[in-house]
Amino acid sequence: MSWQLNFVITAAVCVLLPFMLPQYSLTILIEALIFGLFAMSLDLMVGYCRLYSFGHAAAYGLGAYSAALILTKLQWPLPIGIVLAVLVTILTAVPIAWICTRSTGVSFAMLTLAFAQLGYAMLFRFRDITGGSDGITGIPRPSGPFGMTWFQGKTGYYYLVLGCLLGSYLLCRAIVRSPFGAVLAGIRENEAKTVALGYNTRAHKIATVVLAYGFGGLAGALYAAFAGFASPELFFWLVSGRVLIMVVVGGSGTLIGPILGGVFFVFLEHQLSQLTAAAHLRIHIHGLRHVRAGRHLGAAEEPLESRASGRGRRQ
Amino acid sequence: MSLLGFIVAQCLSALSQAAILFFIACGLTLIFGIMRIINFAHGAIFMLGAYVGFTAIAVTGSFLLSLVIAPIVVGAVGMAFERIFLRPLYGRRDGGAYLLLTFGLTVVLSEIVRVIWGAQPLASGIPDFLRGIVIVFDQPFPLYRLFLIALGFAFAIAVWQFLDRTRAGLLIRAVSQNAEMVHALGTDVDLVRTGVFGLGCAMAALGGVLAAPLVTAFLGMGTTVVIDAFVIVIIGGMGSFLGSLIGSILVAFVQVLGAYYFQDLALAFMYFLMLIVLVIRPGGLLGKED
Amino acid sequence: MTRPMPLLECKGLVRRFGALVAVDTVDMSLEAGKIRAVIGPNGAGKSTMFNLITSVLRPSAGEVIFAGETITGLPVHAVAQKGIARTFQFCHIFPALTARENVRIAAQARDHRRWRFLAGGNVLRRSAAVADEALEHLRLARFADVRAGLLSHGDQRLLEVAMALAQKPRLLMLDEPTQGLSLEETNRAVEILKGMLGGGNLSVLLVEHDMEVVFKLAHDITVLHRGRVIADGAPDVVKANAAVRSAYLGGAE
Repeated sequence: MSWQLNFVITAAVCVLLPFMLPQYSLTILIEALIFGLFAMSLDLMVGYCRLYSFGHAAAYGLGAYSAALILTKLQWPLPIGIVLAVLVTILTAVPIAWICTRSTGVSFAMLTLAFAQLGYAMLFRFRDITGGSDGITGIPRPSGPFGMTWFQGKTGYYYLVLGCLLGSYLLCRAIVRSPFGAVLAGIRENEAKTVALGYNTRAHKIATVVLAYGFGGLAGALYAAFAGFASPELFFWLVSGRVLIMVVVGGSGTLIGPILGGVFFVFLEHQLSQLTAAAHLRIHIHGLRHVRAGRHLGAAEEPLESRASGRGRRQ
Repeated sequence: MSLLGFIVAQCLSALSQAAILFFIACGLTLIFGIMRIINFAHGAIFMLGAYVGFTAIAVTGSFLLSLVIAPIVVGAVGMAFERIFLRPLYGRRDGGAYLLLTFGLTVVLSEIVRVIWGAQPLASGIPDFLRGIVIVFDQPFPLYRLFLIALGFAFAIAVWQFLDRTRAGLLIRAVSQNAEMVHALGTDVDLVRTGVFGLGCAMAALGGVLAAPLVTAFLGMGTTVVIDAFVIVIIGGMGSFLGSLIGSILVAFVQVLGAYYFQDLALAFMYFLMLIVLVIRPGGLLGKED
Repeated sequence: MTRPMPLLECKGLVRRFGALVAVDTVDMSLEAGKIRAVIGPNGAGKSTMFNLITSVLRPSAGEVIFAGETITGLPVHAVAQKGIARTFQFCHIFPALTARENVRIAAQARDHRRWRFLAGGNVLRRSAAVADEALEHLRLARFADVRAGLLSHGDQRLLEVAMALAQKPRLLMLDEPTQGLSLEETNRAVEILKGMLGGGNLSVLLVEHDMEVVFKLAHDITVLHRGRVIADGAPDVVKANAAVRSAYLGGAE
């Protein structure tokens, strides 16, 4: 089946879901889609450029707080607020990306973490604006432009999030299949060679990070308007760790895998909270065995990483 | 309270903190140097050390014995984990798998601790012979912290001599530089890796046992400390023993000063330091090329 | 009669690594349309020279001039954009990508629309056409859809040459292109290279250990020994040079 057909069928099913599920499931589903989007944004960096980030929560938090401030203080319409939040995130991401890409590997990852932690600290420093540990509460979903109100209810918001996720997926898919995306593949496979061919790989990496922050910021903004509040936890490294795990479990380099990973994790967490510690333990050890065998969720589309053959020791 | 006394007290405080950080960071950097993987489970290992130490004290009644027992037990656990889960992964280009596995170990260890020891923090307290205050330049200072500084110093010297003068140390340094060559010369590199992983875990566990009297043994004690350890290893340069020593001291001083002068941004100070170091020297102060 | 300005000129290039002087005041020039071979025993500094010219390493002293422009110290990708393409001693390709994609990415590098991240269809098509052409030239067309990592060592080296050609360079720098190739593969490679280089609008700098290859292809030869130029001229002249003989036969120890 061609991917277009797959996509249309999946989209159609998603559109029909609100009519098939009870309302409380819808809440979890919206959260799951937002995390799916968040995870996919990180995949651009991790899966397509091999830039592991320990601080992607910064994108999420930036988007969330920007949206929170714009919607509460300025009371601008929700769609506009979200777009602006994404713009703010992208602009902030440029200097961050510029500094982080000076290093590679773990140093790069730690620099991204540093910025996320700095963001976290800044929230407390400027608590007059950000509300400190209380965060920003009572975030509205102002109507407009042109008096639109369909996104103010839960079902309507679901469609907003779904639309953003599907649109972002299409956009990301186009990007990784573009000339720009081909250069990312080169950087991933052999950066020295890519530079020798005449590509400014640093600029490409910066662009990738900024794009990843943009989509991550979108997820954060959607979350803030959905939950109605933004709190410092959104910047915390636990969030960065979780989303990174989602990407890896889902299968990096596939875009779809991480989306599934994000969705899977949200549902898993809701189920796990009802289990005993011993059951937790068994599930986790089971998961570890899967990892050791090299399996992941996005198995339909083979991740680019494991497509290389003939290298590495046989076990 | 004289100014000199105050400064000395702050310095000693930072040094005692540096000691504990050093136990953890040293193990982390050794593991990275040999295996080129980042052990995300290092914080959980630290925590496990504290809990095992608690039980060791309860069973044997001796704090000093627990300093020996806990590292050995936890080191063995580390070696088993490496053998079962990490070794099959060598040669794969997949960095994500290591991340998941070591992170997964963190979760598994937390669950195990919860199941065996329960969710409540456990306090064995400072051992009697180390309780007490010492007057340093007219400032009172806890004896236990002085003990930590002395132990940290001794440990640093011991590890340095071990790496520099013993055959095992030479082997470790060789493998961290060129594993294939060492393998071609007939040494079982896999065994060296397992051993070093265990050694690194033992070091972290020692840190846990020593930290427990100060902070009590509790779930989640490893989570913030592991990030500190990462920052130290990055600042000092991954794989560099001396770097982890310098990094530990720098970070401890920055943390103590930050907490005293800039409470609001104290958390961020360590990251400022790391940012500055990485901007000037992207590989860390004494980093090796990867 | 004045000689035409050389395409590439190295003036007084020096590169030190601590106390080791890997390249010691080397002067070298390459005329457009010619093939110059750089030869010398191991450790003579040949690959270091290549790295200095392509800016992978900074010279400790001296300068590199390409088509009248000083390129010393430019970033590596900028040097490539000036029209210099190189292959590496230890074959550098993209193993997980297909052979065609390998060459296509190389071809795309000179496309001024290579930045496109949306609507890049034309760029992809243009570069794919150049790639297929290059694969044809190197007789690798049948491997177009095979993953480069699966190709034999010899074919991988030829693939790397195809990538270099796809960059449509003015200067092609080949670092030991026949290393590790069997006799049959070497002959095939030389035949292909000779065919490509007959046109005259491509200049080549070639590091080689295989003297037969050198004498079949090169117009001029530079001989390096311990970082210094000990001979420079036409193949016959260099063959007869006593210093060269002793360097190769180990007399100069």
